[in-house]
Parts: sequence; structure tokens; C-alpha cells
Amino acid sequence: MTTADPLQDLPFDELRRRLAEAEETLRAIREGDADALVVRAADEDAVFALAGGDESYRALMEAMDIGAVALDGAQQVLYANAALCHLLGCTTAALQRDGLFAQLDPASAQIARETIVRAGDDRHQTQFVQHHRGASRHLVLTAAPLPLAFGTGCALTFTDVTARIEAAAARESERISRAVLTSANEAVVVCDRHGRVTSANAAAAALARTEPAGLAFEDAFPFGFPIGGAILHPGELLAIAADGNEIKGLEASADYLSPPRDLLVSVAPLRLSGEAIGGSVITLVDMSERKDIEKRQTLLMHELDHRVKNTLAMVISICSRTAAGCQDIDDFRGRFVRRIQALAATHNLLTERAWTGVDLAAVVKAELAPYVASTGPSVDIRAMACLVPPNIGIAFGLVLHELATNAVKYGALSRESGTVTVTGAPAGPRRFAVEWRERGGPAVSPPTRHGFGQTLITRSLKGGDGTGAEIAFDPEGVTCRIVIPTE
Amino acid sequence: MSKPTELTLYVAGQTPKSQAAIRNLERICAENAAQNFVIKVVDLKENPRLAREHNIVAIPTLVRQLPVPIQKIIGDLSDTEKVLVHLQLGSAA
Repeated sequence: MTTADPLQDLPFDELRRRLAEAEETLRAIREGDADALVVRAADEDAVFALAGGDESYRALMEAMDIGAVALDGAQQVLYANAALCHLLGCTTAALQRDGLFAQLDPASAQIARETIVRAGDDRHQTQFVQHHRGASRHLVLTAAPLPLAFGTGCALTFTDVTARIEAAAARESERISRAVLTSANEAVVVCDRHGRVTSANAAAAALARTEPAGLAFEDAFPFGFPIGGAILHPGELLAIAADGNEIKGLEASADYLSPPRDLLVSVAPLRLSGEAIGGSVITLVDMSERKDIEKRQTLLMHELDHRVKNTLAMVISICSRTAAGCQDIDDFRGRFVRRIQALAATHNLLTERAWTGVDLAAVVKAELAPYVASTGPSVDIRAMACLVPPNIGIAFGLVLHELATNAVKYGALSRESGTVTVTGAPAGPRRFAVEWRERGGPAVSPPTRHGFGQTLITRSLKGGDGTGAEIAFDPEGVTCRIVIPTE
Repeated sequence: MSKPTELTLYVAGQTPKSQAAIRNLERICAENAAQNFVIKVVDLKENPRLAREHNIVAIPTLVRQLPVPIQKIIGDLSDTEKVLVHLQLGSAA
């Protein structure tokens, strides 16, 4: 049985027309003028798209600004976008000819292979540092399965996150710098290249004329500098830093503050990345306290020198006056040592109060302590609390020593039944009266000779205005009335 | 008024070239407004059997039914000159 050829009866021209039409259709399909085809079947005709899905994902990939590549199941490059070629520094042709891994350094290629393996079932992401052309960059590699007509490939994207990471690192660095700046004890000021204060910590703000942020440095910190020094104006500091130089420990004064402050100023250039100078960093050390301490120390040295000289003069005087009234060297040694000990006792009391003054009651107790025993003569000290200056305290101590020495030798302290009463009372403005009263001792008669002791008693505290001492040798006991200047 | 030029554009749903062909045909008609066009757009995705009338295989295809003889051009009609020459639209007036 034969089947009739449907074209057999067509005229030659029609056959030629149909051939031309068929050739045109084939050309159009081959050259991509058509993107769909109608396929005729016995039961139902159907329309099929030609490479439509492929084109859409290629268009999508091209629209991406991150590097993207599609690999087939054998990890051959199906398509790579321009962003990836730019990222890897190669051409599309090279990628398709040599493969993706040939365009990566060995370490990055290994990471890419591992990421693809891990993305066998689901999306997987790896972040790594790639050494590329002498520099490091941070890449995020994302792999996801890619369904293909014949099997499964892999879609890979490469994102360069170097700028983002460096920005985050810069922010963190900035945060740490600010924390350091804030917690620094020293005053730190940062200026931009135009000399404006961009930041100043609390210690620096305390030394500024007003809130410094945003002001020109010389307006916020109008320091004075010693005449003839290397710097005469605050602005010159910044000029030195702008030239890349440093200055350390320059003396300056902030006379606009109350009280004025003495400062040590240092300046250094603020170096940014690439060693570019972006401004200056100024550190300020407040020297006022140290200067005060130095002044106080100098004062104390002078005071000490003065006191030592006074004390030595007093010791020389005591020595010569004691020697004048002594019978022999042993007599001298005894009297002299006891007088120096009396002096030392008052010195001890002054030291306890840092030489600001001495309490008369404490002087009396210290001077009489060697002569008081539980079974011996009694000493009664009344209302003697009175603070006097050091020189008055020293003189009073020596007077007390002479009175006590006399009492031990000839008076109330020479007998167990004897009593000494020392009574204090205010005696008008800036004066204090002390009465030394001896009772219960041997009968007293006035001395026949006026010795150094008596001179010391009557003259030591004599300063005019009713001050000084009077001594009365009553038969029942010695009475000495002393009026002391309290200032 | 001149005899109408009857054109049928066969497309397949929303494929890029079908969409481009519709846009380009609208533009060509607008640029040749003096000509009397009767245009029909057939979406073969909706009814593939309609392809049989003009024996359409590749999509998009533009068919000039009138004036005879029937002329066809395959593609997205982006080359205006080619469309005008091929379908003799300019000379049909």
C-alpha cells in the first residue's frame, strides 16, 4: 500500500514558495529571531518557548552588581556575569575556556570547591580573605543548587565585602579611640587640618575657655607662652604638626582660667591611613598642682633653714649662758643636757602638729613628766588648754623647765608632800595667763644670786603689752605668774 | 480611502520577543498612520490550533493577509525598514 504525497499535486511555484518559507523559518530559529515554536501533533498542537528561561536568568545575572557564575554538574562554567569577570580580573572567554577555579588562587579555589560541596542540598555561605594582586580582600561566597534540564548545577555569587568590613573596623577603631580619649587622665584635644577642634575629652574641656568642639584651637585654648620661647601663639603649635613635626613638654599658661593654670603642652600630627596628616593631637598636662607643691617645698626649705638657725642660735645661747654659771664641766654637762632635752620635748610636740602650734597643757605635762611619780610630790594642771605659736611654745617649755628644775632642787618638788599647781586663764585679747604655784616644800628665801635660769624665766616671754613673767619667792613657796602672747 | 492592510501578529504569551513584536507593530502603525491598517493579534499560547490557518511555526510571526499575496515576517519587528520592505507596507498604499 502506498500513501499519496500531499505535495505531489501542488504547482511548482507553490512548492518553491513553501520551501522559501521553510528556509526562512529555519533561519529565524537559528538566528534567534523567534523565541517560541508551534509543534503540530496529531491530537493537540503545543507552543514551546525557546531558551526563554536561560535568557531571563542571564539577564538577571547581568543586572546583579555582585559576581555571579552558573556551573553545570561537572563544574564547567555555563555563564558568568560581567561583575564576576571584573572581580576576578579575567574575561568571560577565559572563564569558559579555563574554568572558574583556574581564575582563583589555590586557597580560594579550595574554599569554592568546599562551598559547592556543602551547597549540595541547600544554600551555603563562606566568608574568607583572599590575597589578590598583593592586597587582601574579604569575599563572601554563596553557593546554591541550580536545577538544569539535565541534572543539577550550582549558582555561585562572589560579594566583595572589604569596604563594609573595613568601614566596620574603622567604626570600631573610632569607638575605641573615643573610649581611650574619654578615659585618658591627660587632657587630649584633636584638631582637623583647618585647626578646628574636632574632639576634646573632659580633662581638656576643663582647660578650655569655653566649649571647645567646633572652635578654632587658639580661640578655645588661648594659651600664653614664655617670651623668647619657641612658640609665641597657639596657632603655631598646629602649624608645626601640619608640617609633620612634634613638640613635647612646652610650658604654657592658661591665664584665662580662674585660678590660672600652668600647663605642659605637647603636639603631634594626626596621621591617617597612608600616612596623610589629617590634623593634630594636642596633649595638655596641668602643672599647677606640681608647681604649687614645688612652691610649698621651697617655702618649707626656707622655713626649716630659719628654724634650724634659730634653734642653733638658742642652743649656742643656752650653752654659753649655762657655762657662765657652772662650777665645772660635769655641772655644765648636766645642766646643758637637761635644757636641751627640755627644748627637744617641745620640738616633739611641735612635730606632732606639723609645727602649726603647740598646746600649753601638753608642754606642761612634757616638761614635768620626768619629776612626777605616783608616790612623790603631786602636780596639778588646770585649764591649761591653749594653742600657741611654735616660738612661744619653745620659750614656755624652757621657762617651765627652769621652774621645774628650781622646784626639784629647792622647792615643792624636793619633798614628797610638795605640790605644784599650774593654772591657766585667758588674760585679755591674744594673751593667756599661767600661774605656777608651789606649796608644801621647804621654806623659801629669795636667791642671793641672779642666775641664767631666773633670767630665762623672767625674760623669755617678755614681749611688751603686759607679757612676761614675774616670780615671787614667798616663804610658803615660789609663785610665778606668766602672761603669754597667744599670737 | 485606501483598501485596508490586514495584518495578523502571532505571539506566544509573554515571551520577550512576542512583547517586543506587539510594541514594535504599534509603533510602525503609528508612524504610518496614513495607511489603513486592520490588525489582529493572535496568542497561540491560548489556542495553538490557530497557527494552522497560516501554517505558523516560529513565533512571533507577522502575516499580511491583504492585499494578497500573503507575506510573512518572523521576529520582533525591531527593524522597521525590513518590516516595511518585506511586507511591502509602504508600497501597498
